[in-house]
Amino acid sequence: MLKISRLSVAYGGLQALAGVSLDVVEGEFVTIVGPNGAGKTTLLKAVAGSVPAAAGRIEYRGRDIRTLPSHARARLGIAHVPEGRKVFPSLTVLENLEMGSYRPVARRRRAEGLDTVLGLFPVLDERRQQLAASLSGGEQQMLALGRGLMAQPELLLLDEPSQGLGPRIVEGIFEAIATIRKSRRITILLVEQRVVEALELCDRGYVLETGRVVLEGDRDTLLADPRVQHAYLGT
Amino acid sequence: MPGALARLRGLVPIGVVVLVALALTFVLTERYHHRVLTLVLIWATMGLAWNIISGYAGQISFGHQAFFGVGAYVTVLLVVGVRLTPWLGLVAGAVAAVVAAVLIGFPTFRLAGIYFALATLAYPLILRIFMDFLGYQEVAIPMVRDQPALYMQFTDPRAYDLLALAALAGTLLLSHWIETSRLGYALRALKENEQAAEASGVDTFRSKMVAYMLSAAPAAVIGAIYAHAILYVVTPDAVFGLLVIVQTLVVCLVGGAGSKWGPLLGAAIMVPMSETLDATIGDRLPGIQGVVYGAALVLVMLFAPEGLYWWVRGLLPARRTVPTPAGVAVAAGPAGTATAALELATDVAGRAPLARGAALIDVRSVSKAFVGVHALEDVSFAVQAGEILGVIGPNGAGKTTLFNVLNGFLAPDQGEVRYRDERITGLRPNAICRRGVGRTFQVVRSFPHLTVLENVMVGAFVREAATDRARQRARAALAAVGLDARAEVVPGSLTTFDLRLMEVARCLATAPELILLDEPLAGLSRDGVEAMMALVRRVRDAGVTVVIIEHTMYAVVQLVDRLVVLDHGRRIGEGVPGEVVRDPAVIEAYLGKRWLRHVENLKA
Amino acid sequence: MALGELVQYVVTGLLVGGVYALMSIGLALIFGVMRVVNFAQGDFMMLGMYLTYFLAVGYGVDPLLGALVAIPPFFVLGLVVHRVLLVRVTGGGDPQRLMDAQLILTLGLSLIITNATTMILTPMPRGIRAAYATQAFAVGPVLLNQARSYAFLMALLLAGAVYAFLTRTDLGKALRAAADEPEAAGYQGIDVRAMHGLAFGVGIALVAAAGGLLATYHPIEPTVAVNFIVLMFVAVVLGGLGSIPGAFAGGLLIGLVQSLTLLVLPFQLQNVGVFIAFLLVLYFRPQGLFGQRLRAV
Repeated sequence: MLKISRLSVAYGGLQALAGVSLDVVEGEFVTIVGPNGAGKTTLLKAVAGSVPAAAGRIEYRGRDIRTLPSHARARLGIAHVPEGRKVFPSLTVLENLEMGSYRPVARRRRAEGLDTVLGLFPVLDERRQQLAASLSGGEQQMLALGRGLMAQPELLLLDEPSQGLGPRIVEGIFEAIATIRKSRRITILLVEQRVVEALELCDRGYVLETGRVVLEGDRDTLLADPRVQHAYLGT
Repeated sequence: MPGALARLRGLVPIGVVVLVALALTFVLTERYHHRVLTLVLIWATMGLAWNIISGYAGQISFGHQAFFGVGAYVTVLLVVGVRLTPWLGLVAGAVAAVVAAVLIGFPTFRLAGIYFALATLAYPLILRIFMDFLGYQEVAIPMVRDQPALYMQFTDPRAYDLLALAALAGTLLLSHWIETSRLGYALRALKENEQAAEASGVDTFRSKMVAYMLSAAPAAVIGAIYAHAILYVVTPDAVFGLLVIVQTLVVCLVGGAGSKWGPLLGAAIMVPMSETLDATIGDRLPGIQGVVYGAALVLVMLFAPEGLYWWVRGLLPARRTVPTPAGVAVAAGPAGTATAALELATDVAGRAPLARGAALIDVRSVSKAFVGVHALEDVSFAVQAGEILGVIGPNGAGKTTLFNVLNGFLAPDQGEVRYRDERITGLRPNAICRRGVGRTFQVVRSFPHLTVLENVMVGAFVREAATDRARQRARAALAAVGLDARAEVVPGSLTTFDLRLMEVARCLATAPELILLDEPLAGLSRDGVEAMMALVRRVRDAGVTVVIIEHTMYAVVQLVDRLVVLDHGRRIGEGVPGEVVRDPAVIEAYLGKRWLRHVENLKA
Repeated sequence: MALGELVQYVVTGLLVGGVYALMSIGLALIFGVMRVVNFAQGDFMMLGMYLTYFLAVGYGVDPLLGALVAIPPFFVLGLVVHRVLLVRVTGGGDPQRLMDAQLILTLGLSLIITNATTMILTPMPRGIRAAYATQAFAVGPVLLNQARSYAFLMALLLAGAVYAFLTRTDLGKALRAAADEPEAAGYQGIDVRAMHGLAFGVGIALVAAAGGLLATYHPIEPTVAVNFIVLMFVAVVLGGLGSIPGAFAGGLLIGLVQSLTLLVLPFQLQNVGVFIAFLLVLYFRPQGLFGQRLRAV
């Protein structure tokens, strides 16, 4: 479904990605782990369209989407839950979710989507009329996830959902992701720093370090490979 | 001395302009042509005055007509009231304008960017209303029969040309002096990147205030001349009104702000054009002047936003932006030369030596929270003189926030930072830099329109007042990092590695005792990492303590003497690299809570 | 001074403030979504006044209705101006330089509009002789000028319509989302550049309508913009740059300040109170009375 070939991206004057290739088959859950500065977020942003690619190809369902702006990619069914959540602070929880289903395909199924999301995250239902800015970090992450789901996505991009959140809340988020996975086979591309939590959820994984893929394999192979630590701490 | 020669050479074009204007004064015959010439000279001068604060310093002001009007009114009212000759009244007007600049500048410079521009709108409006209200709707300059020249009243229009030319020449000289002085570098730096300028030791507030005062005086002088040469009857609208600032803006923006030639070019083109239009079709089409000015502004913003002068310069083949005098070329030779250069760059007289191992920086219980996020919580550690200390931690741990507190961009909510046992929390970044703390940034903050050498000179001015000596110090710093071959290019054409080197050089030029390096290795190739690490070691060996934030772990463990680990704003580890990376708390912070248990299970 | 007199000043101030409020909402919307300070806002209002005038004089259309009629053509005009001019200076790049560029661009636009109108329509002031401009409702001891009262009500209606649009329609919410977080808005499928055009179009249409309402009691001349643009700025800053309800409240407040200033200062200094309020707000609370961060609603 998603095929990235030799992607190179320069970001903030740096070579953030240098010739990265990976692919995601429809219905798969693929995780990308790696330390800071590895380029994980840049990779997702390049797929979502907010960062331009300097070289390489990004193919979605066989079609090269490199020249499409991000809103056009969203309309194709690619939903991006960005790093740092980026909920719309002056909109209410409900309005945020409604914006998640802005694209016509999702708009038609808005009521159904709301049911699902509010069922998954009851705390959002309680706070539906509150401004998103007043939510806690964990609640905002749930909202961002919910907003992504409202798009009835074909490909869901999750960028470091655990960032800046306390351990218990992080567990809750990962549980929610697992539930989403079980209830509907959306294709998911997850980028994370926490290795075990992220790899346990996936079918296949990649390890990124300084803009390159250094390890890849299916879930069990990667989980059994202590070399992953080397990528993070150099030992 | 090379510098003085260069500065004198820079006066030649000014001389040429003056000669051309003189020639025109004596060649033109018709009264009407003289009026146009006078207006060109007047608006060019006003443009140059505006350019000092809005072009060089980048603080766009929509209220400069306040000073223009103050000059006009003070001079004329003194003539009417106490028969004071305007030749002296000019001085009074200029003084009044400078005082006004201080009064306006003090509160208004606290405002950033657009708020500053909007605020400056208000002052001339208020002044205009007050003048109306006080009964000065029309102040006519009384005709003086005997000794009119004493009252700036001439029958020969050429006299007004010369008067305006004198003001222009004075303002050109002032601009020239600013451009080549320490203030000029400070202004350009703060215009291009205010934070980087602060971190490099520029007192941005003081520089803005001085520039504002220097820009007010010529505006007042030319306002007084305008009143005598053109108006004869001073009304609030004529001197405080919108048309004054529009004229100024058009002249500077069409011509090109940020240089002395832009306003000249703009005035030479726009003023004759609009006066001719006004004279020929102005009766049938009232307002044609406004349409032309508006169209000029729109077109310039769309197609040549920097102005004609810079647009033309951009078309010419690349050349040096500053004709540097033949200086001592210090080649990037073997380590010996570079080390000598390094010592030269970091030499500061009168700094008391510290015992090796003494605490240079003492961070005590620093906490900082943003909306809902505890960026730093009760962080304490000490940096020992002469060491290379690494600060590491996963994403969002608070590392850059820590640096921002250390170098003064942020004040902590609790706790304090002491440098050489002196409390530095609460000081402005430029003051901290002056005390000896240098800083580089995660994303290099260069001054894009200055050459590499000029970028580094901004830092050098912390220790040197004279431009020549600052240039020497900057050259030494560039030699120390091995970048002297690229001294005359602009940062835009440098590689990431060279940009980082430039930032380090700028830092070294401030003669720091301690440098904060924010991710200097990010995005570099293996070779680049090695070279940067070698430089860091050389810097430390020259006596500069280094604190470095890094993610590139394999490099960090080789480079640093000690590590401090942050996670979620707390210090979770400290010690020598070998121990720290095996510390379970650290491993968990990086790879997640379950990693260690997971690895244990694998072994089982 | 009698209480009745004070109430009169307050009421007059509020009535006038209602129209200021409508003008300011347009400016706030444009700034909130696009981060553009539109210097030409007052000039579009002036054009709206003229359109209403010609409709009244040529076709007998009541100016209150004329104000509504002005909305569609000015909306289109706004879209065109955005697409042709503003798009070029609101793209990516250094935000500070961009701010300066669009300030100057809109200033240039303002000059063109004001002076071209002077050229074509002459500086002669005109006025609409609406019957109700010289009549007043009497509520107890307080007199409410009829023209200003109708204008006030219409302003409230239009502001309410805008508010409903922004809070109840998908498109309106998308506008607010684009103002809050343009990057994330793109991820939801919102075309942020189109949102900019929409915001500009609505902003221009609103201020033109406000001009139509103003024409019921204010003389119409090409230079009228100058008097109001600063008032609009003050109202928007008071309310918090980019906040719509803030701008509305700011407009009302400016009307009040202007009116109450007359209690202590002579007529000529009426606006001094406004300018001083402007400076005070900029110094002590630049985020405005309602603003916490920049946002559209």
